[in-house]
Amino acid sequence: MKNEILRMERVTYVDKGVTKLEDFNLQVYEGEILGFIPVNSHGLEELFSLFRTNMPLYDGYVYYGGEMVNSWRGPMRGQNRVCIIRARSCLVEGMTVAENIFVLRQGFRQEIIPSEMLRKQLEPFIQDVGIEIQADTYVEKLSTFERIVVEILRAVVMGQRLIILEEISTLISETKLNKLYEIIRYYADQGFSFIYINLHFEELQQICDRAVLFSNGRIQKVISKSEMDKGILDNYTEQYRDLVMHHWEERSGEKRHTKEIFRLENIVYGAIKKPLNVTISQGECVVVQCMDSISYRNTKSVLMEEIPVTKGKVWLDKKRGKMLYKDIAVVEEDPTSNMLFPELSYFDNLCLGLANRVPGVCYSRKIKMNIKQEYKEYIDEELYLKQIDELTEKQKYQLVFMRILLQKPKVIFCFQPFKGADLVHRMYIWEQLEFLLHHGIAVIIVSVNLQDPLSMVQRMFRISVKGIEELEKDEFQSASSTTEKDIEI
Amino acid sequence: MKKHDDFRYISKRVSLIKNVLQCIGCVTLLLAFIFFLNGSSSIWIVIFLLVLLLGGNIVWYEWIVKPFRWCETLSERILNGYVMKDSSEEDALYLSPMNKQQNQKMIGVLNGPHVVDLNKRQAQYLALQNQINPHFLYNTLESIRGEALIAGMDSVADMTEALAKFFRYTITKVENLVSVQEELDNCETYFLIQKYRFGDRIDLHVECDADDWNDIMNCKIPKLTLQPILENSIIHGTELKVGKSNLIIAFERTNDRLIIRISDDGVGMDEEKLAQLNGRLRNESSSMDYKKQNEKGGIALVNVNNRIHLIFGEEYGMHIYSIPDKGTDVEISVPLLMDEESIRSRGML
Repeated sequence: MKNEILRMERVTYVDKGVTKLEDFNLQVYEGEILGFIPVNSHGLEELFSLFRTNMPLYDGYVYYGGEMVNSWRGPMRGQNRVCIIRARSCLVEGMTVAENIFVLRQGFRQEIIPSEMLRKQLEPFIQDVGIEIQADTYVEKLSTFERIVVEILRAVVMGQRLIILEEISTLISETKLNKLYEIIRYYADQGFSFIYINLHFEELQQICDRAVLFSNGRIQKVISKSEMDKGILDNYTEQYRDLVMHHWEERSGEKRHTKEIFRLENIVYGAIKKPLNVTISQGECVVVQCMDSISYRNTKSVLMEEIPVTKGKVWLDKKRGKMLYKDIAVVEEDPTSNMLFPELSYFDNLCLGLANRVPGVCYSRKIKMNIKQEYKEYIDEELYLKQIDELTEKQKYQLVFMRILLQKPKVIFCFQPFKGADLVHRMYIWEQLEFLLHHGIAVIIVSVNLQDPLSMVQRMFRISVKGIEELEKDEFQSASSTTEKDIEI
Repeated sequence: MKKHDDFRYISKRVSLIKNVLQCIGCVTLLLAFIFFLNGSSSIWIVIFLLVLLLGGNIVWYEWIVKPFRWCETLSERILNGYVMKDSSEEDALYLSPMNKQQNQKMIGVLNGPHVVDLNKRQAQYLALQNQINPHFLYNTLESIRGEALIAGMDSVADMTEALAKFFRYTITKVENLVSVQEELDNCETYFLIQKYRFGDRIDLHVECDADDWNDIMNCKIPKLTLQPILENSIIHGTELKVGKSNLIIAFERTNDRLIIRISDDGVGMDEEKLAQLNGRLRNESSSMDYKKQNEKGGIALVNVNNRIHLIFGEEYGMHIYSIPDKGTDVEISVPLLMDEESIRSRGML
């Protein structure tokens, strides 16, 4: 006999007149690790909200622990005991690991926090998971892997029987991921249930007992373990693989560009004390993998001009330049949220790309007309009338990349471009990066997850506080399995 | 022009009056506050007016706005085909006593016992489109079987026996609820008949946890729940597929539910068709629109789902999962009825 932890029966959820979930059916059993493959992200955020909060449904029923907690008639309970672990930490900064785990739980009534007692209480949990975490460590000092483990422990202590892990493999190294799998399995055996959200079916095969395919706010298919072994979802990722293979073959046959466009000469910044020497050619695509959290943070900060370059020279098209120069563009992580300004119009957002070149462009009618004319081929006229909030995710990605193109940079740094994007959007990002490459722009992908970008690049660099290592295309296969990344995002 | 039209609705007029009253309240409050600043009014008058205004708004929202919105939601659901099968008194909100009677009458018509019978008869009709006098049919089939055995045609004899068994179960057994074992036997009989047609192209597997086997087999489910779905899987799933196909009937139980999954690895269906089919299962108002239903065809699944809803309530039912070229799963969720007491407690005896 199986015990149900969560059951969503024919749930239809409508938000602002848009149907986000329709006839959504899902069961999660006790002690189960359920894989969740979002083919697209329509309704995904709303689903996360519904897991935790019983918001009014248009139709259907939600059961948690066998009890009906929500229905179309109205919620019976406010919150469900569900923990969601994502890229952004849910721990309270300024508090220690032990305080986060024990003090914030319901029913903790003591006014003076007994640190020694908390430390002793935490000990058996730490032993269970088999990793070394100090109870007194402040959570902001934890690595991502440690932070995820602490969040799991907190869920366990709080009695949250369902733990949802979203795209965890993009945050931690393969070694740490395997360790995390052990922890997940351990708690699954204890009766805790997990929903493991990931787009890579191969990854789900390693850990999950079942998987579901989510598309357009519905579950398309429930895949049993035996079906997972048969690779039933091959045709769903086929299109993406074809695209990847196409780029791989196209770029393999391509003659390497020789015109140097960007060069770092004996660069030293932040904690990276060993001089870095990197040369990038025009229209070349390379991936930079940061081997530890410090080098990732420092690389990001130096590109955003948050910390200065301590020593060395930056050469741009054989001219001396700064790290953040008008010829260098940066595509931040989750660019549709971080790079667009909802208070500005579509056109003003687009014109930001030109701000470094033509001051006051937002007010010049003539230039606006010229831009519209130039981008007629790529941007639908109707989009100019829309607000940022009204755009689809794909249109937002298009806006970001069109803005970059308008800036006409020589080099683009992309931070984790595929992170959090569903299959459809990954394909679109691929196309957009390829589009920029065809315009002769060099693309430097700074990523911790090598699954997506590796097939696109010609060379790869590994940066750590110890220095830099360059790998050619032939050496990539071994690289992905020996990485030791654990990045604080 | 459109705004003007809006005031044809009583709701808009009531809303307008509320806004006017609210404005009067705010102005009065403001005046009282000005008088208070001038020293010609007491602070208590200001507080009293403030409390009155806030209280009035809360009462307005809780007594009028919220129930009215709920009423609107229910009406919208009915218009979109979501019919309240087990609507309780507290769910309902009525504009007037006559409106209450009207709604209750409508729900009564939709939930009436004749609907269960109608659906059951429809299921029998689907299974036996060419039904003639059943006893005559059994006798004839027995005669054919005898002749076949005498002639040494064992396969014909077996096939005839299976057909007779299938008809006997479908026509003669009159109960609403039968055991899972009986339903499974009927499925195997039906599959045996189909096997003569498809040969080795199809295979049937039954999956169930060994510890739960006895409990599950004794559970009660509506008669003719599994066979129509199995038939659907063969006709729409595996028949169109090139090569061998597997059909799986899997049983699982939880504390209070029995979950039956009938899967095939046939041609499957695309996302749009799947959404349409699940929409039809959900959209029970289609039972009010027979013409539309018949036009769309394939009413076996809808029929089974309707009967489950009518017998057990709308928390139970059927859901379909499918991806093209990989197959289709039909998942049925019914309450776990293992003894007469649990059946009686649901008022089914």
